[in-house]
Amino acid sequence: MKRYNVLNSLWLGLLLVILALPLSVAAMEMEDCLGCHSDVDEVGDDLFIDEDKFLPTEHAEMGCVTCHESVTDEHPDDGESVSSADCLDCHEELGSEYMATAHAENASCSDCHNPHQVHGIEAVSGPDMNQQCSQCHEDVDVMDSHSQWLPQASLHISKLPCITCHTSAEAYEIVLNITQKKKKSEGGKGYRFSTYDDLKQYSNDKEIQQLIDIDGDNHISLAELRTFNKNPEYTDLHLSGTMVPSEVSHDLSTLDNRYDCTFCHASGPGSMQTSFVAFPTEDGRYQRMSVAEGAMLDTLYGTPNFYMTGPTRSAAMNIIGLIIICGGFVMPIGHGTLRFLTRNNRKH
Amino acid sequence: MAEEHQHQIYLQPIPVRIWHWINAFGIVTLAVSGAQIRFPEYITLLGSYKSAIYLHNTAGFVVAISFSLWFFYYTFVTRTMANLYVPKVEDLKTGLVKQAKFYFLTYFLGWDNPHHPTPDSKFNPMQKSAYLAIMFVMMPLVSLSGIFLTNVDPLRGLIVMIGGLKLLAGLHFLLACCLIAFIPTHIYLATMGRTPTDHIKTMWTGWEEEEEHDEKPETGGVTSGH
Ligand code: HEC
Ligand code: HEC
Ligand code: HEC
Ligand code: HEC
Ligand code: HEC
Ligand code: HEC
Repeated sequence: MKRYNVLNSLWLGLLLVILALPLSVAAMEMEDCLGCHSDVDEVGDDLFIDEDKFLPTEHAEMGCVTCHESVTDEHPDDGESVSSADCLDCHEELGSEYMATAHAENASCSDCHNPHQVHGIEAVSGPDMNQQCSQCHEDVDVMDSHSQWLPQASLHISKLPCITCHTSAEAYEIVLNITQKKKKSEGGKGYRFSTYDDLKQYSNDKEIQQLIDIDGDNHISLAELRTFNKNPEYTDLHLSGTMVPSEVSHDLSTLDNRYDCTFCHASGPGSMQTSFVAFPTEDGRYQRMSVAEGAMLDTLYGTPNFYMTGPTRSAAMNIIGLIIICGGFVMPIGHGTLRFLTRNNRKH
Repeated sequence: MAEEHQHQIYLQPIPVRIWHWINAFGIVTLAVSGAQIRFPEYITLLGSYKSAIYLHNTAGFVVAISFSLWFFYYTFVTRTMANLYVPKVEDLKTGLVKQAKFYFLTYFLGWDNPHHPTPDSKFNPMQKSAYLAIMFVMMPLVSLSGIFLTNVDPLRGLIVMIGGLKLLAGLHFLLACCLIAFIPTHIYLATMGRTPTDHIKTMWTGWEEEEEHDEKPETGGVTSGH
């Protein structure tokens, strides 16, 4: 019985090797392509593919040839031009949604997306996302036009991804990024997003996630958030929050309800339930970790620097405030009653 | 003039009256717009959220400027700030107790107010302590936190250092609640003059009826000062 099994798997293994052999011989593999195309000296700037950015993407799993079908073994010596797939072939839903909007005449998919560096919304920071837009919409112009109607325009523009206001979405979620004080050598003032290497200096031999997720359970509790925020060693770090669509849509037509502040600001504390911390990864992307529900509403230490007038108001503060205001009526009511009852004492 | 105001003293000069009513109007505006900014789902008195914000910022600016002018007037023009607003040692030692006893006991028995306002000593010891807290602690802090909240981006470093935006917004909110709580108390005490509208008229005309000092406390039912 046992021998039969071993023999069987041997055959199976041999079969697999035989089947795989012709594939690797016949066509160029991804490594072959990258052998030339990830080397600037070989192909020049225009045809350069950044291997470190390409390999972690979903697109890398398909290999080069899936999208560049016409490439031959003689490439590049054959002088034939290589075909490139159309995004719409595979991204029907988002693609057709975008193509139906007026903006499709202004920008094509690859104006915003480098097909060799794609990422989902969860793997990119707000500022990086806005980089796509600022290629054509210059920051100063955007600031100028938005500050004509948007209170605190610079705060909104610097904090929010453009697509939070400029695309529709069923739901939104809060994403917190670790930011750090700029060093003197970096031009001083303000904060910038921490990179993986920056955070590694704080976490030393531990994973950077454990700066916040102390128990390593891949989930951030309110207690862990508070501990992080109060840790005196991290005074230069703070969590900066933003609001992003839960799911990407590509309807870039201007949305009237974003003109009405209450779309976000009257969404109530219920809209603040889902949140994540986005940790930078070694390859310049981000990886999210879920945060305990409602942590955004913690009175003081949960997220001390995320405050959105309206939805993030704390219930505890409201109660204290109400008690204080009621205190203001003690004198008129209490004293007033006694004053009324003793009014005869003050008459002649 | 002298004829007309024979038994009156000029207690509230014009700048103080102007300041008082700008301040009163401003604070009520701030309270209403502030409530809409914090509770936009429930309060929509001022129309759009944006108009509430613009109104709040403008009113905040007006109140902060008028506060500065008030401060300047008392400190540098009349130079009576310390005298009027800072309780003296005897105020703290005996004055406070005496005044409290009046408000909460002897007033009901029909006694006279132990404090007689004059332009140099407008406030009784309790008023002094209350106004000291309000004008020198709460108003400056609420204005300062408001200025921070309208400039979050440029002042981010400072805000993080203080302990965060939530702390700042919480402080701003609770201080505002304290100031709002003061309004009913303030208005109520303002009705405790000779007649219920006496003090309120004074804040409009500047003139206050003078005390009739020869009256005995037991019979001098009418009082002055709050
Ligand atoms: C030996 C080095 C080398 C290898 C291996 C290689 N390429 Fe190229 N590739 C080039 C050069 C050089 C050019 C520019 C050719 C030209 O301008 O005619 C080029 C051009 C291209 C272009 C642009 C063609 C166009 O018409 O604009 C694509 C797309 C491309 N390669 C894809 C691939 C893919 C996919 C693979 C792997 C299957 C691959 N290459 C493997 C060197 C290489
Ligand atoms: C998901 C599909 C997809 C995959 C996978 C893909 N490419 Fe491309 N590639 C494209 C598209 C689409 C274009 C055309 C971009 C444009 O028009 O701007 C392109 C363009 C290129 C170009 C032309 C220069 C440029 O950057 O525009 C080169 C070279 C290239 N690809 C090489 C590669 C290599 C090498 C691989 C594998 C390592 C690869 N591609 C994998 C879709 C893909
Ligand atoms: C051959 C099919 C194919 C083509 C062509 C293709 N993609 Fe993709 N793409 C995929 C698959 C599969 C995924 C991973 C699953 C998903 O997100 O849908 C993906 C994912 C993505 C993502 C999200 C990456 C992530 O990590 O979630 C973006 C952005 C993207 N593609 C953009 C493009 C753009 C822009 C083009 C055209 C230049 C394009 N794709 C062409 C198959 C394709
Ligand atoms: C005006 C800029 C712009 C254009 C044009 C554009 N996109 Fe996007 N796309 C974005 C942004 C911003 C995101 C969200 C974050 C990211 O991945 O960069 C995104 C995300 C995506 C995603 C990932 C969705 C996810 O769930 O994370 C896909 C897939 C995608 N786009 C496909 C396309 C396709 C296909 C086209 C062309 C029909 C296109 N995009 C055109 C800006 C654009
Ligand atoms: C390749 C260039 C390009 C990119 C990238 C780009 N846009 Fe545009 N966009 C345009 C042009 C051109 C117009 C039309 C002229 C104008 O209004 O400025 C336009 C118009 C718009 C409009 C006005 C639409 C209307 O109905 O008036 C909005 C909103 C907009 N873009 C948002 C974005 C956002 C958000 C991004 C990033 C996700 C982005 N754009 C990226 C070129 C671009
Ligand atoms: C707070 C929500 C919000 C954010 C964030 C935002 N926008 Fe807008 N944007 C709007 C609204 C609302 C309009 C329409 C204004 C109007 O109708 O007067 C608009 C108009 C525009 C227009 C067309 C009018 C013009 O000014 O030329 C462009 C282009 C634009 N936005 C680009 C951007 C870009 C790029 C970003 C990111 C850097 C961005 N927006 C961020 C809400 C926003």
